[in-house]
Amino acid sequence: MIRVAAIIFAAGLGLGAAPLKAAAADGPLVLVAGGGGDAYAPAVARMVQSMIEYTRWPAVRNPVELCVAGPAQHAARLDGLRLSDGRAITRRAVPASPAALAGCDAVYIGQVPPPQARQLTDAVRGRGVLTIAEADPDGRGQAMFALLFQPGAVSFRLNIDAVSRSGLRVDPRVLRLAQGGG
Amino acid sequence: MLRAPPNQALPTLRQLLARVHLRLILFAVVLAALSLLVSGMIVIRNYAARNLELIAHTVAYTVEPAVVFDDRQAISDGILSVGAVRGVDCVEVRDPAGRVLANWKHPHADLHSRIEDWANRQIWPRPAVAPIRRNDTMIGRVEVYGNSEGILRYALSGLIIALSCLGLTVIATRILARRLQQDVIRPLDHVAEVAHAVRSDRAFEKRVPSSGIAEIDRFGRDFNALLAELQGWHAGLTSENAELARRATHDPLTGLGNRVLFEQTLADAIGDSVRSGQSFALLYFDIDLFKQVNDRHGHECGDAALIAVADRLRQSIRQADHAFRLGGDEFAVVLAPFSDRACVQQVLDRIDRAMARPWRLPTGAAASSTLSAGVAVYPDDGISPQDLLRRADADMYEHKKARLAAGPRGKNHA
Repeated sequence: MIRVAAIIFAAGLGLGAAPLKAAAADGPLVLVAGGGGDAYAPAVARMVQSMIEYTRWPAVRNPVELCVAGPAQHAARLDGLRLSDGRAITRRAVPASPAALAGCDAVYIGQVPPPQARQLTDAVRGRGVLTIAEADPDGRGQAMFALLFQPGAVSFRLNIDAVSRSGLRVDPRVLRLAQGGG
Repeated sequence: MLRAPPNQALPTLRQLLARVHLRLILFAVVLAALSLLVSGMIVIRNYAARNLELIAHTVAYTVEPAVVFDDRQAISDGILSVGAVRGVDCVEVRDPAGRVLANWKHPHADLHSRIEDWANRQIWPRPAVAPIRRNDTMIGRVEVYGNSEGILRYALSGLIIALSCLGLTVIATRILARRLQQDVIRPLDHVAEVAHAVRSDRAFEKRVPSSGIAEIDRFGRDFNALLAELQGWHAGLTSENAELARRATHDPLTGLGNRVLFEQTLADAIGDSVRSGQSFALLYFDIDLFKQVNDRHGHECGDAALIAVADRLRQSIRQADHAFRLGGDEFAVVLAPFSDRACVQQVLDRIDRAMARPWRLPTGAAASSTLSAGVAVYPDDGISPQDLLRRADADMYEHKKARLAAGPRGKNHA
């Protein structure tokens, strides 16, 4: 079962680096193409951070090792994230090959074709690794979370099957976040 | 039975009972309704307050990931799924700086009457607040404002129930008062009726029936005992009065009517004859030589002679005739109206025959005497009592004179 959670992208725009800080502005904001930066990056950063926040590993990971596999378009703000309990998220860029994923607690799969992404997810299945796909809206790569980019908003799809096989526990309230998943 | 109308200013027992009952029941119902209403409202409000706290915490728990993800739509959905229930007026999710991330208002919130708004403010001056935490970090808070609708509805229904109870009890009071009146006043009325009958009709034989109430029954029994005493007194008094009246009109020695009764009877007889047009006769007697008997044999023998004469007169006249002793040895008889004058002579003859029988004196000796008689007939010899009496008297003296001249026929055989 796939669920989709839509996040008002604009709300995440004002976030900056401060983790878990509430939205800076009310009301509708339009997507502003910031000079030099990727407009989706802050929202993606917040989303990835929140996903890690509500994911529980069999043993506490400190810091949480976040591997960005392959070339990523919206991962510019994934550095220096911190969880609410103070744990840090360390980012590491790795090649998109199963062998490179050793030691990763979470894998952000960048612009990787679905078959190759499937190889990556197969490699970490059952080993307690969170998988987030940036470029797989249909979920063919069997990542736990698939980011969806719409104009002005970022949402995600949840692959329940992948979650249940991952060896991780995801807070069920995150499932409820999915629109219509109530 | 006519009775004097009761004083208008005095309330009847029934009114009194009804008033007392009404006050009592009003007091009880108002007290019960008020205390129930107030305690019910307090209990409901406490439950509602706890409910609001619970809702606030539930909303906080539900929307926590949505706040973390900063998904406002999800926050709104979360509020809607657990916070949009009855009894909640408004739910707000704020960030730590106090800015509203999402809120929900009761759909009827805009249609609130001013009373409900006022009641909301009075009953829920402060919202129930629950923090939204992620680990130890406060990431927002939930404020839940209560709705007074339920409490107002309870108060309204309580008020309606209390009012209808009041109406019912007012009716019940009337019925109760009527029954009490029947139970209490009817026995009292019996007593009053008997008292009235005794006072106005001298009905001393009446008695108060026993009633179902101990006090009134005791009162009735005492009253009856009093009545019995009164009856005894009254009977004694009546017989004494009768005796006195008899003595006033009768000669104590002979038992014949005295002069007073004679005059009365004569007047009545004249009156009757005037009306009927019939005649009647007045006979006048005295005992021949009574003075000599008295002097020679003593008053005792004189009295015996008087009693014997009276007896013989009484035996000789008819039922409708009346005999009197006017004093001394004078007797009179008023004969009933007649159509044939011969009957007067018949009576005189009977008296003569009766006098011929001797009587026994206290000394044991036998004696007899004769009577001299005079007759006056109404209206031939007079129409007034005096005329008749005078005429009869004169007639008697004429006879006596004639008899004495012929030689004394009556003798004492002493």
